[in-house]
Amino acid sequence: MEQLITTDHAGSAAAGTQKDTPMSNMPAAVPYEMRRKSIWSCLYSLQEVLPGLLAMFFIAIFSNNLAGVPNPFTLENLFAYLDNVIGPVNGQGFFQIMNANFVWNALLAGLIIGNVFGVPESWKRGLSYIHKLMPLGIIMLGPHFVLSHGLKAGFGPMLIAVVMLLVTAGLALKGAKLFKVDDRQASIVAGGLATGDPHVCAILMPMIKAKGGQVVNATACVILFGLLASFLLPLLGKLTGLSDQAFGLASALSIGNGAQAASSGFAYGYEAGRYARYYDAVRHAIMPAGFLYVFLVMFWRKLKYKNDPTVMATRGVDTIPPYVIVFVLGWGLACLHLFKEPAHHAIFDMVKWDFSLAAAALGLSLPLKEILSWGWRGFALTSAVGLVRIALVLGTLFACVKFGWLGL
Amino acid sequence: MNRHPHTTDPTGFDFMANRGREEQDRDTVGIILAVGVMAFLTLCQYCGLY
Repeated sequence: MEQLITTDHAGSAAAGTQKDTPMSNMPAAVPYEMRRKSIWSCLYSLQEVLPGLLAMFFIAIFSNNLAGVPNPFTLENLFAYLDNVIGPVNGQGFFQIMNANFVWNALLAGLIIGNVFGVPESWKRGLSYIHKLMPLGIIMLGPHFVLSHGLKAGFGPMLIAVVMLLVTAGLALKGAKLFKVDDRQASIVAGGLATGDPHVCAILMPMIKAKGGQVVNATACVILFGLLASFLLPLLGKLTGLSDQAFGLASALSIGNGAQAASSGFAYGYEAGRYARYYDAVRHAIMPAGFLYVFLVMFWRKLKYKNDPTVMATRGVDTIPPYVIVFVLGWGLACLHLFKEPAHHAIFDMVKWDFSLAAAALGLSLPLKEILSWGWRGFALTSAVGLVRIALVLGTLFACVKFGWLGL
Repeated sequence: MNRHPHTTDPTGFDFMANRGREEQDRDTVGIILAVGVMAFLTLCQYCGLY
């Protein structure tokens, strides 16, 4: 095949006017292996990447309040304003309950821009930096998870949290076949639901080799189920007659997402809401275990069934990615309190920058139909597994209260 | 073969594709930058710069 060197990627065609264009008559890009001189070749030339990087930068700074940028006109501030207009729902901001944060604000902005105006050709080289930003952000998350923060709430709650995390992830992965959900989407659901943090959906994307549409679809499933569960759980809690403390723990372990868990807790009672916030540290501290577990299970499964074409998760991942190993090392060092305050916060500010930029690129890459094409099966899987987890958590905590275990 | 209008440029470069040697290099660059940023911020604190 004739290879032509093309340096001019400038183009302004918007997606609104773009169609799936046949590539047979177009000049082909030089394969990476041919233009590679060192590992730094993946940075490409500044001329090639600048438009895309600027697009990510401006989407990021107009989406979130990022360290070092005194821009008040952000989506984050708009949502905070609307939260005040709407008023609190069980003491929580509505957009907080809807999981508005530094990842999803930028993703939403990217989605809107990409679907309304399209993605100019000149941006595309720069947008490929998402693949450098993801490992970069995952590693820098390491210092954010400190086991001792969770252990302060007690060994018992921590043990229950770990068991529920593993059971939830295991059920979601097992249930994929039953609900006919693609194993990559099921992995993202498993990670997001088990850890209770929709961020994990994005973190698992490069590890599982999931498609962007699957990640956003799965995230929406986890957020939507969390929203419904935050109203359902207080009703079930009243039936079981749990103490405020036990219900706070139940909220943190069965719903996850901090604002949704707190909303559930405050719907039960003021003290329960405060306990939901208190026990959130338990769920948070073990979050890396959730996505590492999902990745390792699916990686092992792919090795075991490598000739099975239906096994798609981690397909193309030949070894455990080095950035996962570096993340685990960083997490270990964080647990040994190497990263003291405020360095830990300074590193997390960089994580916000990193994931805001990456989420902007992800949002730009996705036509809405690609997200919707994964359908409602993911939500059925999320709901089924989520309801089983609620039953298990309430049953366990009911037993703890009845027999006087854990001081609940 | 059709190109994805959001992710592929006219030369066939797909910014969401990530495989092979290019993926390894991107991962390595990400790791180097992450370790560099974390080490720099941590050392700054240990040196009392903030």
